Amino acid sequence: MSLIEIENVSFTYHGNKKALDDVSLSIEKGEWVSILGHNGSGKSTLSKLIVGLLKPQQGVIRVGGITLSADTVRDIRKKVGIVFQNPDNQFVGVTVRDDIAFGLENLQIEREEMIERIEHYAKKVDMYSYLNKEPHNLSGGQKQRVAIAGILAMKTDVIIFDEATAMLDPEGRERVMEYMRALNREGTTIITITHDMKEAVLSDRIVVLKDGRVLKSDKSENILKDKATLEKSNLELLLPLEIMHYLNENGIENPSLKEFLWQLSLNG
Amino acid sequence: MKNIVIGRYVPGNSFLYRMDPRTKLIALIALMVAAFLIQSFTHMLVSLALVTLLLVAGRISVKRVYLGLRPLMFLLFFTFIFQVMFNQEGDEIFTLPLHYSLLSIVAAAAVVVFWFMTKKHVRFKLFYFLFTVAAVFAVLHYIDFGVLFGEGTFRVFEEGLSTAFFIMVRLIIIIMLSTILTITTKPTDLNLGLERVLKPLRIVRINTEEIAMIISIALRYIPTLLDEANKIMLAQASRGVDFQEGKLKDKVVQIISLLVPMFIISFQRSDDLANAMEARSFVPGQPRTRLHVLTWKRLDTFALTLSLVALVAVIVVRVV
Ligand SMILES: Nc1ncnc2c1ncn2[C@@H]1O[C@H](COP(=O)(O)OP(=O)(O)OP(=O)(O)O)[C@@H](O)[C@H]1O
Ligand SMILES: [Mg+2]
Repeated sequence: MSLIEIENVSFTYHGNKKALDDVSLSIEKGEWVSILGHNGSGKSTLSKLIVGLLKPQQGVIRVGGITLSADTVRDIRKKVGIVFQNPDNQFVGVTVRDDIAFGLENLQIEREEMIERIEHYAKKVDMYSYLNKEPHNLSGGQKQRVAIAGILAMKTDVIIFDEATAMLDPEGRERVMEYMRALNREGTTIITITHDMKEAVLSDRIVVLKDGRVLKSDKSENILKDKATLEKSNLELLLPLEIMHYLNENGIENPSLKEFLWQLSLNG
Repeated sequence: MKNIVIGRYVPGNSFLYRMDPRTKLIALIALMVAAFLIQSFTHMLVSLALVTLLLVAGRISVKRVYLGLRPLMFLLFFTFIFQVMFNQEGDEIFTLPLHYSLLSIVAAAAVVVFWFMTKKHVRFKLFYFLFTVAAVFAVLHYIDFGVLFGEGTFRVFEEGLSTAFFIMVRLIIIIMLSTILTITTKPTDLNLGLERVLKPLRIVRINTEEIAMIISIALRYIPTLLDEANKIMLAQASRGVDFQEGKLKDKVVQIISLLVPMFIISFQRSDDLANAMEARSFVPGQPRTRLHVLTWKRLDTFALTLSLVALVAVIVVRVV
């Protein structure tokens, strides 16, 4: 049994065309999956469905063996956390401390435990010295780190990053990717929704969505090398892979150079 | 716009900072009610002195409180003038015959125009304004020649003067007290205190926790929204909307060009925020544990007793 099982799910926003059309997907425990796709391909819709912010018109979603429904949605939210794109729109607390506390208060965690977790996870995202700061005194990257700490403190099994790095500068992006890597190593299942191929390279598996359907789902290595699929969904190739394809198309065989290019793309 | 001074928490350390927000809120209400019930001139002045003493003892910079008062100065002042001029009850205590002649009216108008032109350069604006008002009356009183066409009298009545005094001192006391509250209490604490003080309203099915949550989110987003307004104004200015000058029609265009994007962005924002809150297991009306706890100290019992005693004393004096 997979940790997340999505079976034949369809979703339509009121009166529009289908945002998701018969999507089936399963994600294993401890896996790191990237979801790629052009704007409007249904990535955010899928993530909102998994945490029960939207209700599918068709199909079934199971998390950890629990079928998502109005009765179970609260249990599922204890297992799946989500970091959204805009750091300003998910900062609930008046201060950093209050914001990390927000989810814990909702989960009715005891105060002592709460204080412990807040300090621990604030340190983890290097925001410990900012605990008393108010959001308007923080940069976008710092706010996003607070959002991540807020989710980490809830100790969910799965964390979804819905374009969580899109509004950050390269340094902030690098940092968040570092956290993802560390988290995944510690056993957290990670789903990253992204347009950044550098982020996708890090993951175990890539799922490509196109017009609300799963176009392809395969090991990252295979998808990244699959120029046809990437082009079909308006995705960019990483430069080293671009060169590799150029070599292939021109019949230049050089295994060691190809291996070098592949390693280069993996290490950004 | 971020430099709004009224109601800003200013870090500090004194007994006022150590007090529980519940104490401060209840004491504030008790003392405000007391200020409204006081009817004796001396008691009023004593109260004003006591509030000032509280300020000094609590090591709050008087300048900050004055800055809090300043935006309301003109309001206070006009209430005063209005009462003095139109309340005609009680004994007449001051009479000033006025003469309306072509010359005196032109001179009075000239004084006003002069004030209007020069007030930018004067530091003590309020005093300058008072001086101008006095000058207008002086002109109307002393110039009794030059095509005279009417006579009048400016009268001040006892009741008018005393009402004006009471209203003014009451407002000043109330503003001082609430400024003390907001300067010495962190927004989070104030909000939590408010939630607890309003808790009895649960009996009539008002969800005080939800109200507190709304206030806290509003507090959190005000600076963000001001920031956004600034950005939009800059963006619109770069497209040729002039926010500095303009006639009424231009002003309308300016305001619309600010409000429309503000509305759209705010809707998007609140949608996102609702999703983020819900995803973090927030369910309106559900019990939550709290990070912040309020601790009641001896100081609180003392302060609360003192302010309630003050209120009772004022009521007793009034009834007896
Ligand atoms: N609240 C909404 N109401 C109506 N239609 C919506 C809403 N949100 C999304 N859609 C539509 O649903 C489709 C899928 O949107 P979704 O936000 O899931 O795409 P996405 O892959 O996350 O895109 P992006 O890369 O731009 O974030 C799009 O056609 C979009 O226009
Ligand atoms: Mg999206």
